[in-house]
Amino acid sequence: MRVLRRIGMAAIAAVLAAQAAAFAAAAQDEGPDEPLLIALSTHHIEIDSNFAGTSILLFGATDVVGDVVVSVRGPEEPVVVRRKQQSFGVWVNQESIAFRNVPGYYFVAASRPLEEIAPTEFLDRRQLGSERLLLEAIWFDTSGDADEFRAALHRDRERDSLYKAELGTVEFIDERLFRATIDLPAHVLTGDYVVEALLLVDGEVLSTRQAALSMEKAGFSADVSAFARTDEALYGVIAIALALVAGWLGSFAFRKG
Amino acid sequence: MEIYLPIAELSANALILLVLGGGVGLLSGMFGVGGGFLMTPLLIFLGVTPSVAVGTGTNLIIASSVSGTMAHWRRGNVDFLIGALISAGGVGGAWLGAFIFKLLRDAGQIDLVVSLAYVVFLAVVGCLMAAESVNAMARRQRASRRKAHVHTWIHGLPLRMRFRRSRLYVSAIPPFALGFLMGIVASIMGVGGGFFMVPAMIYLIGMPTAVVVGTSLLGIIVISSVSCFAHAINNNNVDIILGLLLAVGAVIGAQYGTRIGVRIRGEHLRGLLALLVLAVGGRLAYSLVVMPDDPFAVAPLWGN
Repeated sequence: MRVLRRIGMAAIAAVLAAQAAAFAAAAQDEGPDEPLLIALSTHHIEIDSNFAGTSILLFGATDVVGDVVVSVRGPEEPVVVRRKQQSFGVWVNQESIAFRNVPGYYFVAASRPLEEIAPTEFLDRRQLGSERLLLEAIWFDTSGDADEFRAALHRDRERDSLYKAELGTVEFIDERLFRATIDLPAHVLTGDYVVEALLLVDGEVLSTRQAALSMEKAGFSADVSAFARTDEALYGVIAIALALVAGWLGSFAFRKG
Repeated sequence: MEIYLPIAELSANALILLVLGGGVGLLSGMFGVGGGFLMTPLLIFLGVTPSVAVGTGTNLIIASSVSGTMAHWRRGNVDFLIGALISAGGVGGAWLGAFIFKLLRDAGQIDLVVSLAYVVFLAVVGCLMAAESVNAMARRQRASRRKAHVHTWIHGLPLRMRFRRSRLYVSAIPPFALGFLMGIVASIMGVGGGFFMVPAMIYLIGMPTAVVVGTSLLGIIVISSVSCFAHAINNNNVDIILGLLLAVGAVIGAQYGTRIGVRIRGEHLRGLLALLVLAVGGRLAYSLVVMPDDPFAVAPLWGN
């Protein structure tokens, strides 16, 4: 077991050393004496038609003993939440609220429960924990409670594992090395993700590190869907042409046979 | 063979889609109907959103109406002048329909409107077919001959034109208006609309039965093409891959359907089709009245 552990440690250290070398070069302007370093197992993920979700690893090292909080935010977009109500026996969308800047993905992990690491005001200000996400309503079309709509939005995202109600774990391998697993489900939005790690000692932020993560659609299906959205008129013409040819070929083939 | 549908954003088995297209094509060949009115609800049951089901439906209908028109054209059963008038009206209607579709989608009501439209449409069509099938079974022998030409207010309209193929001298307004209406319905529901068009051409315009189907199919090609284009531009809801797989199945199925349709006695099969139509409509109606799992739904905010 000890041998295995040694090998494991050596492997992590090797990965970290390699990433840290690249990192040190990139992080020069942030100051060379930062007590926190992080590295992701990958910075770029291609989503093809077989994509069923993936996990990436975040490794990190600290110079001092403290708590680490890792957060990941996906690309933001405005979102509308609608509530169905029954009228004349039929369920109809009636009330709605639109929210600005809703992250498509949100994940937080920490080495201890967040409330033990920092005061709530701090957690609220930094929006740490999915229940603290600031969901700002930009228009109302309801007399009801906006929090019900916020809760529905969380419910929707949790169904697709895009948000998680419970806190992820940042696991310290020894006093200085830590790691966290970031699960990305099948329905992730494409775009730029921001991974942020905070090092806290006695509730004070000692160091902050950010890493970029990008998700991109790849493959034939992605090309088709990108084409349909960027060059709509040509896409429409091709759709018509293909259908015309399919119909014509069909009748032609059967006339011969 | 699993295949990812880029616009519908879900994976489906390509063979199942081919078989589904083939099945609907078989029915449409047997009964001489477009099949769009069955395909759109079936796609919705498969998990395709009503929006993509309608947009893709317009694409599929182009393919099936082309092969149908070719068959009728070879027999000389297409009145191109009336077809052109229907198409001219249909262009405006299809564009307007796609625009109404976009407004409804932005208001979050398109799924409901499409489902409701289908429930009403399928209920009416199913009941009419059932009644007709029962009637036909009851009085198979005493078939009454329809009068060749009945004069109605339609024939008093101005802008009369001579239609050689149909041997008619009537106003150009009814075919144009008919095309316009069909265009709106086609864009909102993803159907060809032969179901409305054929009786209207026979009873309102007074066209000879022989040229009605070929001519309405010609109109449907133009209307569904414009509708498909308008949906692709305004609503991004035309899935080429899904449409093509269904179209290949439908075109092949329709050829066999036509052959079977010639041989088999109509009334019983029409009765069965009526039951199928009513069942599909009933299933859609049920999904509208049953309590949803979560009364809230989340969608990206379109426009502003």
